[in-house]
Amino acid sequence: MAVRTIEVREKVMAKNDELAAEVRQKLAAAKVPSLNLVSSPGSGKTLLLERTLAELGQELRFAVVTGDVQTQNDADRLAKHTQRLVQAVVTNGACHLDARQVMEALSVVDLADTDMLFVENVGNLVCPASWDLGEVAKVVVLSVTEGEDKPLKYPKMFRMAEAAVINKIDLLPYVPFDIEKAIGFAREVNPALRFFRTSAHTGAGMDEWYGYLREKIAAARAS
Amino acid sequence: MHEMSVAMEICRMAEERLTPEQIPQLVEVGVEVGDDSGLEPENLRFCLEALLQHPPFVGAKPVIRRTAGDALRLDYLEIDDGRPDD
Repeated sequence: MAVRTIEVREKVMAKNDELAAEVRQKLAAAKVPSLNLVSSPGSGKTLLLERTLAELGQELRFAVVTGDVQTQNDADRLAKHTQRLVQAVVTNGACHLDARQVMEALSVVDLADTDMLFVENVGNLVCPASWDLGEVAKVVVLSVTEGEDKPLKYPKMFRMAEAAVINKIDLLPYVPFDIEKAIGFAREVNPALRFFRTSAHTGAGMDEWYGYLREKIAAARAS
Repeated sequence: MHEMSVAMEICRMAEERLTPEQIPQLVEVGVEVGDDSGLEPENLRFCLEALLQHPPFVGAKPVIRRTAGDALRLDYLEIDDGRPDD
């Protein structure tokens, strides 16, 4: 018999979790909080960040890592709103970012000159929920052009998130989206979830979002 | 989609665990999947079968063992090195 068995018994996520812990430690040492932005494709994550960089870029120093299956279009869009480096990760088919990619991206980020790291994950409400990227919080973005029942259909993502941004509220008069119903569904899966109602297009609700970012930065500095 | 991403990670782990000589000798990949892991075992099997057909692998067979709980583990790798047992 020539067959040999190599016992492994290792968690599939073990390597990622180990690297995520390293990322978290590195960011904590630099007092830089990281937010992992997750959503389905087309929710407006990139526009939310574009507006944030444009309006808060003079006050706060943001570093950004973007993930896309193909193209670095999002990074190119964001780079127009900041003089700082925007790191593009092209996953070449993978449906999420992993901690190794974030660690590599951080190798060229000057954390001493950074107040906050945004990780704009690949648009996907399933896989990114399972991959820890060393963030202090996941923020799920849900737009009003989607169904109100997204939190029920994708509970893990909403359960893992600390905050939910309900985006594109400028379109509410034109779409049959019941915002209170969506919030109710989200609270069913995560009663502690915080909500922000924004239009990254018109700027509505962005001040509350900026308040949250300032709060996360203050907490990281105080830790 | 999620299963494919997990299957890719399992293949990466297998490559990391095996020497370059052992990779083409891989005949079986044992995976433990918990009922609460959020994965559909048959989908994962399908994805692993697809990935293990392509280089550097040469058609290893995934063997999925379902368990209670949320475990998701690469359990074992079986290689056929063509040598008799010690």
